[in-house]
Amino acid sequence: MTSYLFGHGRSRWLPYLFLLPGVFFYLLISLGPSLATTVFSFTDATGIAGAPVHFVGLDNYKEFLFMGQGSADNYDALWRTLKFCFFVTTIQFSLGLLLAVLLNQRLKGTALFRTLYFMPAILGVVILGLIWTLFLYPLGGPASRLLGVFGLSSEFLGGPPTEAFAWVIVVQIWANVGITMVIFIAGLQTISAELYEAGRIDGAGSWQIFRNVTWPLLTPSVNTNLLLNIIGSLQAWTLFMVLLGYRNGTQVLGYTIFAQGFGQTSGSVTSAFRQGYAAAASIVLFFLVLVIGLTTQTILRRREARIIG
Amino acid sequence: MDKKLSALVSLLVALSFLLAACAPATAPASPAAPAAPAGATTAPAAPATGEKVTLRTLIHQNPPMVAYMEEFNKKFQEKYPNITVDQSVVNANDLSTVSQTRLTANDVDVLDIFGFANAAQPYMKKADAPNWQTLIDAGLLMDISDQPFVKNYDPAAIKDAGTYNGKVYQTNLGRVSYSGIYYNKDLFKANNVKVPTTWDELVAACAAFKKANIPCMTAGGKDGWPIFVGAYGLIGAEYPDQAKLVQGLWDGSIKWNDAKSLDMWNKMKVYAQDMMEAGASGIAGDAAPGRFASGAVAMFPGGTWYASAIDAAKPAFEWGYIPWPGSNNAADNKNLFGKYDQGWAIAAKTPNKDAAIKYLTEFSDPANYQAFANAVGFIPTQPGATLNTQIGKEVAPFLSNFRVGYEQYWVAPKGAGQYANPYASYYKPFGTYDDPQTLADKVQADLQSGLDAVK
Repeated sequence: MTSYLFGHGRSRWLPYLFLLPGVFFYLLISLGPSLATTVFSFTDATGIAGAPVHFVGLDNYKEFLFMGQGSADNYDALWRTLKFCFFVTTIQFSLGLLLAVLLNQRLKGTALFRTLYFMPAILGVVILGLIWTLFLYPLGGPASRLLGVFGLSSEFLGGPPTEAFAWVIVVQIWANVGITMVIFIAGLQTISAELYEAGRIDGAGSWQIFRNVTWPLLTPSVNTNLLLNIIGSLQAWTLFMVLLGYRNGTQVLGYTIFAQGFGQTSGSVTSAFRQGYAAAASIVLFFLVLVIGLTTQTILRRREARIIG
Repeated sequence: MDKKLSALVSLLVALSFLLAACAPATAPASPAAPAAPAGATTAPAAPATGEKVTLRTLIHQNPPMVAYMEEFNKKFQEKYPNITVDQSVVNANDLSTVSQTRLTANDVDVLDIFGFANAAQPYMKKADAPNWQTLIDAGLLMDISDQPFVKNYDPAAIKDAGTYNGKVYQTNLGRVSYSGIYYNKDLFKANNVKVPTTWDELVAACAAFKKANIPCMTAGGKDGWPIFVGAYGLIGAEYPDQAKLVQGLWDGSIKWNDAKSLDMWNKMKVYAQDMMEAGASGIAGDAAPGRFASGAVAMFPGGTWYASAIDAAKPAFEWGYIPWPGSNNAADNKNLFGKYDQGWAIAAKTPNKDAAIKYLTEFSDPANYQAFANAVGFIPTQPGATLNTQIGKEVAPFLSNFRVGYEQYWVAPKGAGQYANPYASYYKPFGTYDDPQTLADKVQADLQSGLDAVK
């Protein structure tokens, strides 16, 4: 394979010049704030302009990780975050793949269904929250009436934390399965039809064709979707805020960080602004996402190299 | 030549991107500047009279209050045609967060702020300062001590709810009771049920309504806090002096799993599981008054601020309001627990200081304030204002027994678990607990964990 060199003279440095704005924006919007967050995590910053800021060393980390029942609650939130990631990733991935395979066929109406499945992805968290809150209204909402037909009832989002948590998983999947589907459809469309034809000529059945032709050649799309699903679900929390509020037994780490940093109101009592502490918590979440993300990426890259070369 | 021209054009395009990124489009956000002395106003001079001004105000969602403010704003703008009021309304749960961000960004002039509470007491070790104190210490709230409109308010209310270090930062607009119960007079009459004055009478009343297939109580469970705030009267029945309760919890002389507290937890279980209607967890806080006013439910535990919304939902609806009968001694059930509710504050760095002061001066005019108090059902904090409303008549016999509630004193120790509160919402179906002793032990353990961590 020939590596492409960017010519000679100014043709060599010109591409880097074009990259500069992007790099600058990345430093300004992403890396810069990340570094600032790291610095703040060692302080008692409240986030309020003009308020004094003091260096507190590792106190914030000690409080988050080792201080009393509060830190045990943080580990519970961490565990819930991992559970959320696992269920959302596996179900959304599988469902997205199934939909993509079904809607990649040349049948009437596939374009309409692709649009319908993708639409929730553009709605935004607040609209999603409103739709599902109305749908799951326990006193006569559509879901409640449907259950009533079978003599059942449920408090849905207001019910036991486990059930409420499960509903957030459902909504998260409903909102994002369209994106997974679209990425898979794009991948399916890069697979040459001749390969399928060759398989059929050799007498392969549908499942054999999928396993030996489609699945290996979908590897880039598989990798993209897995990474997006895992990282996205580890960081998701706004849906929890909109659907459940800060309910005991349902918080994920991202929401805990938000509540600590910006004050969570309960009744008329608001927890103090503690952005230094929230910064420490977000660094913990960052390392979690980094470890899981890098591990996943390494495994997937090796798999891709093995399958595709 | 073409190659040179295209390279030159490319270079110019790239440079223009760089320049656009570097040049600020708006004034740069101020970095963490040295803190100005609290209350110091370093804002630019206010626009000259007649110059058009947009006054940015921020209030929390309370439908009768929002409706009143919209009317007030209209009249204010008619009186001062050069001032346009740009009012933002946020959910009460988000008020603190939005206030912080908008004050920091200097994006608000006048804001609604709850009465100063939850100050760290000397016996509270390593407690964080409450948000309002942090805002004042950062120089974000204006010192309004010398403003003439402050004198319109009750000095005690100004001192208790709006003063810090001898300076006034907010004019508190009223007290509310949150430990009472609204009751449907027609349903009580029709079902021959006596208005309860003791706990046993309340239990019997609920049983009677349930027998008649009438839900006993409702609340805005979807917002979370209406369920546990609705049961604050049960805390009051055991611990009438709630400042002492908070101190006792901190110094260990009171525990959430001692005999007295266990009685409270037992009653909270009955409230959450037997009294509260099924499906209450799906009712939004704003929708609960309407649900009650529809006549479908016998009782509605909640604060006096709901009165206007109930009347608005159904003006002909006959209702009453009683203190929570949490004790079996009727004489113990005459207290109203509550708080200083919202007040007005001005952003210290507002560029519209004149307009902001005019706004609060106009609002604080006794006639306008009386109209506000009538609209929202607050117990007034202006000496001349009276309780001309239905809720005013209902609470008048108990006003001398008004006490500031637990929620206004409590500061959780660092390291405390999330269950370190006396919340009825920990019980199923809102939470996961069923057994009062187990819950009481868990609540105390979560609190103790924090107390041990800060020793």
